[in-house]
Amino acid sequence: MSYLEIDNVSIGFGPVNNRSEVLKDIKLSVEENEFVAVVGFSGAGKSTLISLLAGLVEPDSGEIRLGGKLIKEPSPRLGIMFQNYSLLPWLTVQENVALAVKQVFPKMGRAELKEHVEKYVAMVKLSPALGKKPAELSGGMRQRASLARTLSMQPEILLLDEPLSALDALTRAEIQDEIIKIWENDKRTIVMITNDVDEAVLMADRIVPLTMGPEATLDSAFPVELDRPRNRTTLNTNPVFRQLRNEISRYMVTLNEEYKAMKADKVVDLPSVMPVDFSVYPNIPARGRRRREIAKKLDPKTTFFK
Amino acid sequence: MAEKASDAFKYRILRFLDVTGFTVFDPVVRLAFNEEPSKQLKAIYYFMVIPILFALFCIFVWWQVAPNHKTKSGEVPTPDIVWDSAVINDTFSYREKTKEKDFLLVGKEREETLATVEAEIEAKSVELSDLKEVLAKHEADYQSQLDLRIEPLAADLDQLKDENKSIQDEIKAAVSSEAEAIEAGAGSTDTLLEALRAQSAAKNAARTAESVIKEQIEEIRSEKYKPLAQARLDVNAVADEVQFLKKRVDFLSGSNRSIKVAEAEEKLAVSKEKLSTSTTAKAAISEANRVLRSESSIERLEQQQYASAMTVYTQIKRSLFTVFIGFIVAAMIAIPIGVMCGLSRVAMACLTPIISIFKPVSPVVYLLIFQIVVGAFFPDPDSHPFFLFFNSLPWIGGLGINPALIFSACTVAACAVWPALVNTALGVATIDKDHINVARVLRLGFKDRLLKIIIPSALPLVFAGLRISLGVGWMVLIAAEALSSSDGLGKFVWDEYQNGSSFSFANILYACFVVGIIGFLLDRMMIVLQRLVSFDGGGTSL
Repeated sequence: MSYLEIDNVSIGFGPVNNRSEVLKDIKLSVEENEFVAVVGFSGAGKSTLISLLAGLVEPDSGEIRLGGKLIKEPSPRLGIMFQNYSLLPWLTVQENVALAVKQVFPKMGRAELKEHVEKYVAMVKLSPALGKKPAELSGGMRQRASLARTLSMQPEILLLDEPLSALDALTRAEIQDEIIKIWENDKRTIVMITNDVDEAVLMADRIVPLTMGPEATLDSAFPVELDRPRNRTTLNTNPVFRQLRNEISRYMVTLNEEYKAMKADKVVDLPSVMPVDFSVYPNIPARGRRRREIAKKLDPKTTFFK
Repeated sequence: MAEKASDAFKYRILRFLDVTGFTVFDPVVRLAFNEEPSKQLKAIYYFMVIPILFALFCIFVWWQVAPNHKTKSGEVPTPDIVWDSAVINDTFSYREKTKEKDFLLVGKEREETLATVEAEIEAKSVELSDLKEVLAKHEADYQSQLDLRIEPLAADLDQLKDENKSIQDEIKAAVSSEAEAIEAGAGSTDTLLEALRAQSAAKNAARTAESVIKEQIEEIRSEKYKPLAQARLDVNAVADEVQFLKKRVDFLSGSNRSIKVAEAEEKLAVSKEKLSTSTTAKAAISEANRVLRSESSIERLEQQQYASAMTVYTQIKRSLFTVFIGFIVAAMIAIPIGVMCGLSRVAMACLTPIISIFKPVSPVVYLLIFQIVVGAFFPDPDSHPFFLFFNSLPWIGGLGINPALIFSACTVAACAVWPALVNTALGVATIDKDHINVARVLRLGFKDRLLKIIIPSALPLVFAGLRISLGVGWMVLIAAEALSSSDGLGKFVWDEYQNGSSFSFANILYACFVVGIIGFLLDRMMIVLQRLVSFDGGGTSL
């Protein structure tokens, strides 16, 4: 049995008579210390999936197990890193991290706690901003702080919910490298949600596409067989990388087209309305009999207005 | 390096101005540090000079318009009169303080002060007599001028009266002759009626003509003769001063506490002496009683305090104290209940009807309710241990805490509780979902969740609510004090309204400014607090 097991999980929202199934029959097994990326379009239910994994929402049916134990509620061992940082704005970086550490390691002494916090803040290269509040930090720095907080709890599994989607390209690349480096030094299981195929290929061991919602589900995985450490600059010319990227991209595009085709069935009948150029009948007001004559010449189904 | 230090200093000042909301002075500070002077001058021109000119314009309009409206308490006072009233109130308060100090002076210091005050009286008396002479001269001048102008008019009036009298007499004679003719059976009734009509018409005409001249005379009399008015004011001011100095002398000598105590001690010594030499049993008892009485009177005198009159500053102090008591009570009720409402929808559902019904109730109604309720708690306020305790405290003892203060504070609390409550509930209910998720992931207990996530997150809105509450409380308090005659600024206004001296109206306008300025300062204080706790760095509406 795998380390993290998602077993036929379904979840939906809304009232009973108008329920929309967001995720249906999700199945996924993640091995210990594996880096899995879930790619999907926005609105497909990616954030719902990560919330399920973090125990923030309960599935309607099915089970999620971590190391054989059922996930029922959130806990520090499920280290989730939110898309929008969710740092507490009234605390400094140091206090934000310390709040988490104190909660997870209540027996830690003051000096030890300080050291622990500083270690993780240094790990994400944020030491100079230790005493700053989130409002004084850039987006990248806030995400680093959030990462430091999550890592400092020493979770059994890292759940990254589109961690880099709000960042600019340069900062994004920098933090991608950061995360990979930290993961390589201190291996643990990671499930990352992303909408960026390149990012997924660069970082993950395995990429699982999420089909279009509603009733989204996980499709068969693409293993990434690229040697680590992966070099961002040389990767672009690597044929394996290019092929995999194209394959996934093509797959995602097909998904999107299928989805559109599926949607195309539901065509709403619009009234057939056509403009009529009455200037071709000068000086004759198109009313009464005259109007009916003109109408006869046109398609009988057409309605027109004057 | 030096430049950097001055920059840091500059930014500290700018930050201070930002937090306190005085960003208007921003360009002044920047100009002082020579930063883009032309830009700063422009900003100063637009945002300081023009508003100041506008304020001056408003004052000018007030100055021009006010005297045109005559009320039963005199003309609407102009800005200078209001300023005078401020000065008078300040002088009054200074004098009360001085007298209090004099009352408590002891020993050599007292004697020295007494000497200087007496010397001052000497000097002032000379000045007073000089001024009185000037006044007499002015009065004589004025009288002669008046006589000069009125005399011809008075002569005219007399002449007119004489003329009218003779006309009247003529008509009267005509009427009586006519009547006699009718009696004799020769006259006609029509002519008699005609004559009577002519008589009343003549009377009216005479009255009108006389009243025109009378009015002219009246007008001349009522014309203000400026030097005379000024002389009178000068005399009054110095006379007041002399009176005050005489009062000081009294408090430095006969009415001084130490003197009174010394006199009582002397009496005691005499009594004791008599007691020791008394021969009869009866005399001994009566002397012993006298000794005991003297002893207790000395004790009382030693504790005696100067009974100061209420000055505007003591009224301000009392009002501020009352509003803060009410505000603190309101906050202590509103914040926990607000947090409860924000956390639990059931609590919210329970309290919504109560809030909805009691929020719009007029402060006057609360005042009356609390007046009755609080009164019942303290049937004998003068000897109630609660008041005795508070009035014996060092700082607030002098404020004279009484049931009136308590129910005014309760009224303030009853009106100020709602904005704080509603805002707190809103702040707690609208807490960011991400923050809740953080609390869930960290598995914070209820206490930690409340203290570390919910309250800090709701704090900016809580303070916004408290700010509104304090504003409402201050407004309500002044009305409550005026209505219930509880000492404070409201009572100051009410007393002025009732007492109707020449300065009353000016004093009311002065109080209006005082209340406004204090309200503004309280609001600023709350803004600063709000800015300090708001983590989003956003501004607050001013």
